[in-house]
Amino acid sequence: MKYAFYPGCVARGGAPELYDSAVAVMDRLGIEHVELTKASCNGAGVLQEKNRKLGDILNVRTLALAEQMGLPIMTICSTCQGVISQANHRVLRDPAYLEEVNTYLAEEGLEYKGTTVVKHLLWILIEDIGLEKLKSTFTRELTGVNIAPFYGCYIVRPSDALGFGENPERQTSLDEMIKAVGASVTDFPGKTKCCGFPILMINQKNSMKMVSQHTGDAKDRGADAMVTPCPLCHLNLDGYQPKARKNNRGDKADLPIIHLPQMLGLAMGMDHKSLGLQRHIVSTTSLVRKTETVPAGGSAESD
Amino acid sequence: MQANIKVRRFNPETPSKEAHYQEFSVDVHESSSVLDALIKVREEVDGTLALRCSCRASICGSCSMRVNGQATLVCKTRLEEVAPNGEQITIDPMGNMPVIKDLVVDMKLHWDKVRAVDPYLRPGGPEPDGEYIAPNEAMEHLVGVMNCIMCGACVSDCTALEVDENFTGPAALAKAYRFVADPRDDTTHERLGKLNEYPHIWDCTRCYYCVEVCPKDVAPMDRIMKMRDMAIEDGYTNTPGYRHTESFVSSVRKHGRLDESRLAVDSVGWTNLPGLLDLAPVGLKALRKGKLPPIIPHKAEDHKQIRKIVDKLEDEAK
Amino acid sequence: MYEHDLLIIGAGLAGLRAAVEGVRNGSNVAVISKVHPVRSHSNAAQGGINAALTDRGDDWEDHALATIKGSDYLADQDAVEIMAREAGDALIELEHMGVIFSRDETGHLGTRRFGGQKKARTFFVGAITGQAMLHVLYEQALKYGLQVYEEWYVTSLIVEDGAVRGVTALDIHSGELHTIRAKAVIMAAGGAGRVFEPSTNALICTGDGLALAWRAGAALMDMEMIQYHPTTLARTGILLSEAARGEGAYLINSEGERFMERYAPEYLELASRDVVSRAEQTEIDEGRGIDGNVLLDLRHLGRKFIEDRLGYLQEVATEFMGIDLAEQPVPIRPGMHYIMGGIKTDVNGLTSVPGLYAAGECANVSVHGANRLGANSLLDTVVFGRRSAQHAVEYVKSINGNGSSSEEHLETEKKRLQAILDRERGLKSAAVRQEMAESMTAGIGVFRDQESMEGAQAKIKEIREQLPRVSVDDKGKVFNTDLMFALELDFMVDVAESVCAGALARKESRGAHFRTDLEDRDDENWLKHTLVYKTDEGIRVDTSPVTITKWEPVTRVY
Repeated sequence: MKYAFYPGCVARGGAPELYDSAVAVMDRLGIEHVELTKASCNGAGVLQEKNRKLGDILNVRTLALAEQMGLPIMTICSTCQGVISQANHRVLRDPAYLEEVNTYLAEEGLEYKGTTVVKHLLWILIEDIGLEKLKSTFTRELTGVNIAPFYGCYIVRPSDALGFGENPERQTSLDEMIKAVGASVTDFPGKTKCCGFPILMINQKNSMKMVSQHTGDAKDRGADAMVTPCPLCHLNLDGYQPKARKNNRGDKADLPIIHLPQMLGLAMGMDHKSLGLQRHIVSTTSLVRKTETVPAGGSAESD
Repeated sequence: MQANIKVRRFNPETPSKEAHYQEFSVDVHESSSVLDALIKVREEVDGTLALRCSCRASICGSCSMRVNGQATLVCKTRLEEVAPNGEQITIDPMGNMPVIKDLVVDMKLHWDKVRAVDPYLRPGGPEPDGEYIAPNEAMEHLVGVMNCIMCGACVSDCTALEVDENFTGPAALAKAYRFVADPRDDTTHERLGKLNEYPHIWDCTRCYYCVEVCPKDVAPMDRIMKMRDMAIEDGYTNTPGYRHTESFVSSVRKHGRLDESRLAVDSVGWTNLPGLLDLAPVGLKALRKGKLPPIIPHKAEDHKQIRKIVDKLEDEAK
Repeated sequence: MYEHDLLIIGAGLAGLRAAVEGVRNGSNVAVISKVHPVRSHSNAAQGGINAALTDRGDDWEDHALATIKGSDYLADQDAVEIMAREAGDALIELEHMGVIFSRDETGHLGTRRFGGQKKARTFFVGAITGQAMLHVLYEQALKYGLQVYEEWYVTSLIVEDGAVRGVTALDIHSGELHTIRAKAVIMAAGGAGRVFEPSTNALICTGDGLALAWRAGAALMDMEMIQYHPTTLARTGILLSEAARGEGAYLINSEGERFMERYAPEYLELASRDVVSRAEQTEIDEGRGIDGNVLLDLRHLGRKFIEDRLGYLQEVATEFMGIDLAEQPVPIRPGMHYIMGGIKTDVNGLTSVPGLYAAGECANVSVHGANRLGANSLLDTVVFGRRSAQHAVEYVKSINGNGSSSEEHLETEKKRLQAILDRERGLKSAAVRQEMAESMTAGIGVFRDQESMEGAQAKIKEIREQLPRVSVDDKGKVFNTDLMFALELDFMVDVAESVCAGALARKESRGAHFRTDLEDRDDENWLKHTLVYKTDEGIRVDTSPVTITKWEPVTRVY
């Protein structure tokens, strides 16, 4: 299995531990990946506010680059996944628009024919690798660990661009992944809501309320950690958790926010340092300790 | 077929004033809607069940409520879609609004917000004898927004409203767009000026909930994004939102990628000292953890090609 | 107690248009509605609004004649003239308020063709014309700060010294009954589709306004004139607009035949609604239907056209039938849709009771006569909504004070409501309504005869006797819709009685009133309106002449 890897700006910037852990997990699974080094930022919906067409052109360019390589695109970010999918959906639905967009790519010798598949690592694990094969790489079941899923908006909405019709399991994929590593799912009301990142710079008060509400709710329901396939959600929920919790609940940040590949890496028995878990703002020490008390191949209850 | 529904009940006249769920099971036609089942419950099982409904054809907007956690018009939600194998479905009243009784909520807050966007046409100049001349494309474009039946589904599930009840909300902002985009309205600049301020267009989180739940394809969030663009084009640039967008585009232009540290500082504004200091603690912590984005941003290969595209599109937009 | 100069019952197009006029004229106006204004059933008018714009070569007289012919010569021609003449002005006014009517390539208002007319003079907003108009009128109401008693239900009119002086009304939220006094009341409470089953009408269309006015002594006119719309969806009965046929859709039977060629060789699918519905019913009755339906075929119009101009129809067909109109014909049948009959008014909306005006579907001016043309109802609401307010505002100036301050009436009503709440478990209002409504459709249908009508009348008599045993499960105050449904049923039985009385009185076939035992129109004896009154002695039936100005009745051929 080989993919054109689109890591996204945050994995290459503010959350390098996502990049490192994703690559480690892919290597363990034997997923071949060629990084799309020529690709641009997808705009994250922000650039689209100013100029949607510009966003579509940049994303179709990325799709065309992968098409040229004959590979499906793999993302590791809900926002990247959603924004590129939306652009793909728009041009596939409207051939005249695709033709127009292609004229901007001609200079580079690119033309998008409409064949590129874009998938988040989360979906690839379920649809292309399969949960059985994935599980066979685990050396440590995270039994007894309670993990709350936080999807990130763009991997669940708008649903018409995300292929839920053909792949309904995508809607609960993160829950399934938590179960696959042997942990328990902590359900809470905010799991498909907004993390607050997009308004962090605009209305920080509201953004902090979101962070506090989601992390607080999950904690109150017994979560040891929260896992997200979106590094933007991670940045806000982790980086701003101390401030958000202090201002809104008057308590301390206590919920580690981990990236999807970090969770998988833990189950694969990887060292927490190599997964970058020490680089988070909210301490992951208690989580790491809890996972490490689980003997490889066994369960927490057995000690 | 059997419709198995679990309905959230609330009666303010009971001493405890506590909500609870009640399960019902009724026999209905295979192509029935969730509303058909609820009406059947009301008519045949329990006449105390309160809900609003009227047209049964997704045009009056009365019957918005949550089905399995997501707001929708129950008249156009078919049972076989949500419960193909007779699964139990859970019905709750809409969110973000106080419940009056059972599935009936008080939409006053929403209507107040509609009032707040000056929701009526304000043409300029002397009134013509005949109609205002307007391009059909503009009118057809507005049909997409006039499709809004004010059912409140988007209001119910809006994540910004959930944390800030002052936020104007998706339906009222879509209503605002209906005038901003109406070629007959003469107060576009004034409207955009007002909408540019808190708690209007920039306080949307872009979470797509409104787009997802809207039963009439109004896509409120898309309208809000369009108004951000229009406000910028109209010269309203003194907002963190504008600076954020501008910095984003400029970063993509320069590097093909995002320069996150620059983005934060640009958004807050270089001259906004308190705002910059506010960023600092998080920045310092991140630095200590080795998390801050690289000072020299990561560039895409061929970023000059990307710049060409950005420049071309930005020129066209002018 | 609340007080106003002018109280308008109903917040649909007629009510809101009247209210805007009243506010603009400086009156102390309030609107009372059992639902929020934008939930009103005016929403459901899809296809458009007729107007002959004389500044671009159309002729209001041609519109008037089409309307009169459509009415099978039962419309009062002075009223039709007013409507046709004021149509252009009313339309432009709506456009200026902000309605986003479709345009032609020059940016002027564009049109589509509608039934019963040769000329394309129907102005429209996609297939959501009523909705687009209603929401814009609500915008105007917000602009003028109109006071709305929202989710209040009128239980009776207060009549003092022979004049209407206000209402008693139930605040549905609190469950409290109040008196609202007014110098004049405009009844704009809409239609009565729920008296029939099935019907295209919303659940709120329970004929409250007709019954309230009838009980206050007003005459109901031509109540037998019930419009069956030719294209309502199989099973659900949801309306599919005439705009489909206006834009070129075909009607086909089980043999694939465009059967309207036999019934209306010139107008085909765009003959008057009564004609098309009868043709469909005949096809179905003679075995050329498909499970009690015929087919509406839009496939030749093409997907883009359907989605651009008939988007809501596509939405309805897809969502409610799982049918893509661009791919498949959709099964349809005639369905009860509109009541031409209503509270008799003059051309200024004044009823036979001083202080009481009526406009919109509950009124009968009469501009629709025995059959309403498609896209004339929206026009009716705005023209006569405006006129009735203009006249009522003048009338109000002649009245001093808000009458007595007696709450005697309120106490009587409170007792009536309490009696319903106190009843021991008996019959359910929904079941009683269903029985009543099905018998009305069976007896007063597309085709009817003496026997069927008498059958309906006898059934309604039985239902009347059951009313004292109708009980409610909900004994509470807050949002007690159970109680409201019991009150609605009480009104609906009145309406059903008046329809039966009118139908049995008219000894001919005319427009929608088609008797298989008396198939011919009888101008000699029946070129007149039927009037029914509610008296202490029972129902009194009378007739009044039809106003003919310049169009002598001739045989009606499409």
